[in-house]
Amino acid sequence: MLDEHGKAWSYRAKWAYLLFVVFVLLLPVFYIIYISFNEHGFGAAIYEFTVDWYRVVLGDRMLVASLEWTAYLAVGAVASAVPLGLLAAKFCKSSRNKVPFVTLMLMPLFVPADIMGSSLLVFFKNLNGFFEWLSDSLGVTWFYGWFELGFLTALIGQIVYTLPYAFIVILITMSRYRVQQTEAARSCGATAWQAFRDVEFPQIRAGVFSACAFVTILSFNEATRTALLKGGFDTFQNVLVSQMLNIGMSGESYAMAGIMSVIPMVVIGSILIITLIRSDRLERVARAKAAAVMSN
Amino acid sequence: MIRGGQDVPTSPNLWRRFVGDNGLQKWVFYLPALFMLLFSIVPLALTVVWSVFERTTFWMEPGFTLFAYESFFTSARAENYLFSMIHSSWAVVISFIIGFPIAVFVRRRIPQVAQHRVILLFILPFMISELVRVFAMRPVLGRHGLINNLLIEIGIINEPISIILFSPIGVVIGDVMSFLPFMVFAGFLAMEAVQKYVFEVCDDLGARAVHTFRDVIIPLAAPGIFAGGVFIFVNSLGVGLVPTILGGPGAVNAGLIVNQAIVAVDFPLAMAISTIMIVTMVLLLYLGHRLFDLTKILEPIQ
Repeated sequence: MLDEHGKAWSYRAKWAYLLFVVFVLLLPVFYIIYISFNEHGFGAAIYEFTVDWYRVVLGDRMLVASLEWTAYLAVGAVASAVPLGLLAAKFCKSSRNKVPFVTLMLMPLFVPADIMGSSLLVFFKNLNGFFEWLSDSLGVTWFYGWFELGFLTALIGQIVYTLPYAFIVILITMSRYRVQQTEAARSCGATAWQAFRDVEFPQIRAGVFSACAFVTILSFNEATRTALLKGGFDTFQNVLVSQMLNIGMSGESYAMAGIMSVIPMVVIGSILIITLIRSDRLERVARAKAAAVMSN
Repeated sequence: MIRGGQDVPTSPNLWRRFVGDNGLQKWVFYLPALFMLLFSIVPLALTVVWSVFERTTFWMEPGFTLFAYESFFTSARAENYLFSMIHSSWAVVISFIIGFPIAVFVRRRIPQVAQHRVILLFILPFMISELVRVFAMRPVLGRHGLINNLLIEIGIINEPISIILFSPIGVVIGDVMSFLPFMVFAGFLAMEAVQKYVFEVCDDLGARAVHTFRDVIIPLAAPGIFAGGVFIFVNSLGVGLVPTILGGPGAVNAGLIVNQAIVAVDFPLAMAISTIMIVTMVLLLYLGHRLFDLTKILEPIQ
């Protein structure tokens, strides 16, 4: 049996191990950010701080255009995956047998990016062929080329990838919400939409916003499915992969990787800080209320 | 509108009925399932069909041939697939050894209010692009990389170790670094099944930590551990990025073979390998379900 002193040390050692693993996971990323600020790039004997590599990246019109496409895809993914995730979470909560539905929604998580991307690629090529044939047969042209590889197909690929995450994040937040509140609002005459907007949404808002942040980051980071489904345009990640494999790792590549690392860190860091401040504020309010009751 | 003392349905009423509880509002909730069926299940199911189509110069045409499977099993691809299965298994084992004790520690020793915040620490590396994380391993593991420089600096080695990059070991390290957070998340969820009083009972009975871990925690958390393991295994096997960047010449896995087949415009072969991959995944999940009842993982959601 360990004495109290031994237990305290064991507890500290476990904490140290946990933090060490997080540090090791993040170390390579911080290391490339560090290299990205070296004027002489990776492997140089001397280190001179510069932001020139970032200037080169942000001054490159092709890279800026690829960043724009990445942003459009992220906006599209958030605008589609989050409402779908919300609907799915509400459906799941109200259904009796949740397992088949949850399995269906989470299935893409278990399919690797290359496999899902190639399946969707062949699926869209076939679907496009079918629509073209239908269009020619009916003489109607408005749906011609709907599923030609391009923005829409890349977006669908990203929604398939991000929807399970949005669904899970919202579902977890929703688990704390009690359906009786909606029923009470409905019995007071509120429509389903009013009950959702005024009663339920304020309580699950944090989950919905977290899902938005999650989907934005996942979409921003996605490379494999997008590369297979994008057609003629390039995203930031696709340009980086192409540079790495065809040209090699330059100072510019490190700066691009630095940008791709810093953006999620800022987003997640902001969410963490906001959450901590908010929970701290709520705790203080609760404590003040409790103190007022106790003093009476 | 009231006509002759009776309510007459008007267009707003019709609209309300259309969008009301039993109209659009009811059906709109089926949209996510429909979307997933159409763009996830259907393409994956059709992959099996396309894998037996006949190859043409740039595409494929309907027919029935097992040529793509024959081409896979009689070439070095099958051997590579098996090797990548072995590497993926190593990635699972190492991730379990490193990650699961963290999940146990967080659930067991950290106050409940702080548990999710601690787990968020592992979300951060996961939120950084896998591409960047794998790419970042090169300057760390390379001959003139961070690890070799550090080890030479402190005098542990004289020559740089070259086996940790552009080798199967490099691929396993890349897989562990990429997917380790999933073992922590899955383990954390799995530990929901182990109530706190179980630990107290074990302590009261004087069970040693190793025995508690082996005989109590592992059996109770088995569904979650298995799900995390399958996730890591399947992704290590199917994400082509890791062997491309860290494996060096000749390093492949299923995902990379699929990509190579697509580049070679051999779509039936790509679909055949995808099918083998999907069958592997379904078999593993089926096996896991029979052994551990994987629906237990969903109990917190139920």
